[in-house]
Amino acid sequence: MDDRFDDLLREAAREYNEPPDIPRDAMWERIVAARQEAERAEKTETTEREHTRVIPFRSFRAFRSVRPLGWAAGVAAVLALGIGLGRLSVPATPPSEPAHPMAVKPAPRVNTAYELATTEYLSQSETFLTLFRASLRQNAGNERLAAATARQLLATNRLLLDSPAADNSKTKLLLQDLELVLAQIAQLSPQSPSRDLDLITEGLERAAVMTRLRTAVPSGPSTTQGAL
Amino acid sequence: MEERELIGRVLAGDPSAERALYDAHVDRVFRLAYRMAGDIDRAQDYTQETFIRAFSRLGDFRGEAALSTWLGSIAISVTLNGLRKVRRQNEREISLDDAAPAVRGAREAEPDLKERLNQAIDNLPAGYRAVFVMHDVEGYTHEEIASSLGVHPGTSKAQLFRARARLRAALADFVRD
Repeated sequence: MDDRFDDLLREAAREYNEPPDIPRDAMWERIVAARQEAERAEKTETTEREHTRVIPFRSFRAFRSVRPLGWAAGVAAVLALGIGLGRLSVPATPPSEPAHPMAVKPAPRVNTAYELATTEYLSQSETFLTLFRASLRQNAGNERLAAATARQLLATNRLLLDSPAADNSKTKLLLQDLELVLAQIAQLSPQSPSRDLDLITEGLERAAVMTRLRTAVPSGPSTTQGAL
Repeated sequence: MEERELIGRVLAGDPSAERALYDAHVDRVFRLAYRMAGDIDRAQDYTQETFIRAFSRLGDFRGEAALSTWLGSIAISVTLNGLRKVRRQNEREISLDDAAPAVRGAREAEPDLKERLNQAIDNLPAGYRAVFVMHDVEGYTHEEIASSLGVHPGTSKAQLFRARARLRAALADFVRD
């Protein structure tokens, strides 16, 4: 009976949102245009960066006091950030007309809050990836905890990608590259072959994720470091 | 042309290879995006974003899985993120007064199986719907789905089982008939 229903379901489901003719050429033209635009923006950004002060990398010594046992506190900090972001994405009150035409609009505090949340998130990610690489070197066997933490960070990453924080193309690209690395770590288990770990390390290095994270995070202590 | 050779040419900056790679995979990506979005504009947006991201990250593609699976994982991630954004936007915009006619059960005539099924699929949680559409509608294997969604194949199978159970419950009267 169930099998018969499943067959019927599969047959009927083939018509679900049946795709129309595919506008291949129109989409291709927009893809080419968007990529050229991104390339131009990147060139401009590089030129501007060459003329501005470079934010110094945070000292690696900052992580010396971190111990594997501190990972649990790290997970809690990540969870707290995720919950905070979830609250930010829910409007406190429904949008309405101002009471008076001369009423002064409040300052855009939400965007500042997203920027702060992004910086905090990138700082946590940097700390996590540093610990992760250190545990790989020591063969610490923390795959389960690493996967669980990566999943939490991944959830926050996706919230940020959906938020105004991703309006900045550079931040967006970093979040996307980070998403890829975290997704790989999230799939780790104690049975994972060492090749998987090598691939993650390679991926981190090739996309210069750590360097970009450190550049994006201003130097100075973060709340995560305190937690850890 | 071999896939590996094609990727090499794209990475070397050959525009004709980029177009060839796009032509080889665009149908599959678009079909998935459209099945999930049910809207031509959004499906185009998600397809375009998938390829833009894919071209910018092609250097990271290691070739452990097929290129189509790798593209599928980007496509489903882009689509689910996009749909979440749309859902949140809609939730903010729909006032109580506007919401009333949108209630599914308020239709005058009893819809037929196809329409009821479409509604039931639309109402599945995003994760179940993604697995159901990928497996039962678009014919992806559980391994491909697992790789695309970053889960184990067993999770994909369990999600499909639960999705079908929900659909079965939603269409219970048809099942009895």
